[in-house]
Amino acid sequence: MFTSSRQHFIAAALAIVVLAVAGVVIAGLFGAAAERVLTVFFISLIAVTGIGVYSGNSGILSFGHLAFMGIGAYVSGLLTLPAGLKMATLRGLPDWLAATELSLVPAIIVAVLVTAIIALLIGIAIGRLEGSAASIATLGLLVIVHGVIIGWRDVTRGAQSFFGVPRDTTLLVAAVACVIALIAARWYRDSLSGLRLRAGRENAIAAKAVGINVQRERLIAWVLSAAIMALSGALIAHFLGAFSPKKFYFHDTFLLLAMLIVGGMTTVTGAISGTILITVITEILRRFESGMSIGGFELPAVFGTTQIGIGLLILFAMFRMSEGVMGLKEWEERVFPYKPKRGKAEALAKRHSDDRLKVDHVAMQFGGLRAVDDVSIAVNPGEILGLIGPNGSGKTTLLNIISGVLKPTEGDVVLGDRSITGVAPEKIADYGIARTFQNIRLFPTLTVYQNVLAAALSTHGGKNAEERTGAALARLGIDERAGEDAGTLSYGEQRRVEIARALACEPTLLLLDEPAAGMNREETDDLIDRLKVLSADLGLGVVLVDHDLKLINELCDRIVVLNEGRLIADGAPAEIRENPAVIEAYLGPGKTA
Amino acid sequence: MDLFLQQTVNAFALGGTYALLALGLAMVFSTMGLINFAHGELMTIAGYILMACGLAGVPFAFSILLAIAAAVLAAVVMERIAFRPVRNASGATMLVTSFAVSMILQVLFQNFISARSQAVLVPEILSESVRFGGLVIGVNKIAAIATTIVMLIFLDRFMKHHRIGIAMRAAAEDFSVARLMGIRANTVIAGAFALSGFLAGVAAVLWVSQRASVDPLMGFTPVLKAFIAAILGGLGSLRGAVAGGFLLGFIEIYLAAYLPAGMQEFRDPIALCLVVLVLIFRPNGLIPSPALKAEKV
Repeated sequence: MFTSSRQHFIAAALAIVVLAVAGVVIAGLFGAAAERVLTVFFISLIAVTGIGVYSGNSGILSFGHLAFMGIGAYVSGLLTLPAGLKMATLRGLPDWLAATELSLVPAIIVAVLVTAIIALLIGIAIGRLEGSAASIATLGLLVIVHGVIIGWRDVTRGAQSFFGVPRDTTLLVAAVACVIALIAARWYRDSLSGLRLRAGRENAIAAKAVGINVQRERLIAWVLSAAIMALSGALIAHFLGAFSPKKFYFHDTFLLLAMLIVGGMTTVTGAISGTILITVITEILRRFESGMSIGGFELPAVFGTTQIGIGLLILFAMFRMSEGVMGLKEWEERVFPYKPKRGKAEALAKRHSDDRLKVDHVAMQFGGLRAVDDVSIAVNPGEILGLIGPNGSGKTTLLNIISGVLKPTEGDVVLGDRSITGVAPEKIADYGIARTFQNIRLFPTLTVYQNVLAAALSTHGGKNAEERTGAALARLGIDERAGEDAGTLSYGEQRRVEIARALACEPTLLLLDEPAAGMNREETDDLIDRLKVLSADLGLGVVLVDHDLKLINELCDRIVVLNEGRLIADGAPAEIRENPAVIEAYLGPGKTA
Repeated sequence: MDLFLQQTVNAFALGGTYALLALGLAMVFSTMGLINFAHGELMTIAGYILMACGLAGVPFAFSILLAIAAAVLAAVVMERIAFRPVRNASGATMLVTSFAVSMILQVLFQNFISARSQAVLVPEILSESVRFGGLVIGVNKIAAIATTIVMLIFLDRFMKHHRIGIAMRAAAEDFSVARLMGIRANTVIAGAFALSGFLAGVAAVLWVSQRASVDPLMGFTPVLKAFIAAILGGLGSLRGAVAGGFLLGFIEIYLAAYLPAGMQEFRDPIALCLVVLVLIFRPNGLIPSPALKAEKV
């Protein structure tokens, strides 16, 4: 399943193969030293790509991935080490393992599987952490695994060198493995899980609202990236022949992260470019390290020139290009701009529902503030309900309660005969409730099409997702902008993308939080027309929060008014306009005349 | 029982140092969202100043002041040069920037001072010990605990009553609103860095006075622990940082004291696994940061 252009993937895969073949051929011309450098380059690139699969797509920087590389190295090494050597030097091994002597490929496969299982368990444990806390937790993972390897002397030889591993990693093996890893990473980026995870990276709250379980997608990426790291670890083990736990600790973590970040964390193109750039600079600086003479000047030997050089390079990249030299797009996405097919507006099915939404004596307490106080409202199927009230009257809080973002302190929300109180926000979309946000929450670096597609794919089992996406875009009249990044659109257009994204979930109830905010009169009028058509064509119920009373009066069948968290009026627009309590809430006491 | 009490004193001394470091990290994180990897290098700088003062024959009390001042200065300069350009960037960008700063400083220490550990002259009295009933407590431990208590009280006062302290707390909850209220971003951030440098300097003095040596990587391990402590307490939460620091200190000391000899090699992994266990039940830490509640939908 591709969520983007198939041609892009094919172009990327071909380029990866061509680059790898060209590298091997050229290195062959320069002899053994060049082949060694290129082999290490390929192995590093696999690791960089592995970190990128997780960190790039999830937006959570990981310092812990070298732990998986280490696990891959030790597990594969234990499998290929000659049995005689194992019996003599590693007393703690069980007999079956001591007697095992696999060749490289089966050992790699076992190492990758073992690492993936370990990663799965760790991922389940630390998956609930967010942002910087998650980053530091991965740092903890690195320390834990390092400590275990050092402590487990009978199996790993502790801090000593783990030697005698057959040196079976040839340039060709590394090249093939690298191609596999890169293609897997590129494939993941545009896979269903990859798109969902990237949406979650851009805006976690919006992703949940369209049915994406961000933590689950994160776990998938985590395990896949750990498997790629294990591949890299197994290869470096069988390239070096002897290594110690230090190989998989902070120094190399930093080096590999530098490659990823300088190149651009979110793309495979970035991983490749960053690895090339840092490898070349390292090779150049290394020549300076031992001191040399240029035109008669003797340069002193400066220990750590490479590290300082790379450090400065990173600072430069962070100051000037914090997205990395390759930015946020793959090369093929830039070279071949993608035009998604136009959809038919009719493809969105009329979804009928007899379910009435009942908000039953709901209250929401934030510390000392009662933001919503004993509010009961009902939304009939197909009805457009206006929800108005002065700022701070609890309108958005009420929408957050209905959409599962907040769990009410008291009361119940019932859809039909099912209670949806406390249902997780990512599950609400499949109950037929979709929403937009007061302060726009798009996935800004994804295209308009992908914004909507991510929602369609994550609701109703992803059935007819492309048709739903095309139809939702057509309904809101933004299909000609489908290939552009959502973040580059004008404010009014972004609002419409948000509504299209909600529509693609095929809801029976749409919650719109100030959809006309920031729109000019023409845009608002256009929105009024579209919403009228949508409601009539799709039988869609709408809860509409806005301060634009023209919009409310023209669209709504019924209006409820909140003030200071309490429901003060509920009735037809004409009644509401005459209601003294409403006038008082808006204009203050004594203005009823 | 005596062993237990003895270890408890040790745990307070170690946990207090972690708490001071974690507090410094939390202050910077809560105002600008940066996890400062180079915090350890502030400690190392203070350590080298102590070393230099010792060689130059400066009285220890005075060299403490110089060391702390150097850490404050270094923190402010670091913010001005390295972190201001990335102030509004993502958390990952800032993290990597600080990682680079840390690495560059480490290499500079190795080149211009020495890659090897250097002895620091510490007054004799610090290595003596005092008897309380059955307990033998090192003077340096007592000094560490006392200093931690004084620092925590001072900081509590500062954050509650001083103009900049109040501004920092406001900025920690909602930076943009704080700016709209007329709080200057530069003042708050520079203040946070100065304080974090101050705390790193104090922690360095405590650290060095127990070990009497300094090396280019001196700050790395304690600050790594402080990171963990800050997460354990709740990233960006000041009270959480203190709680996390002490809890981590207790976990480490008790594990060292009571783990069977065969398991001692796995002490660090076990300690971290315990931390992870706490985080599984409290993903936002022991005392979650107020900024988490402030996020609006």
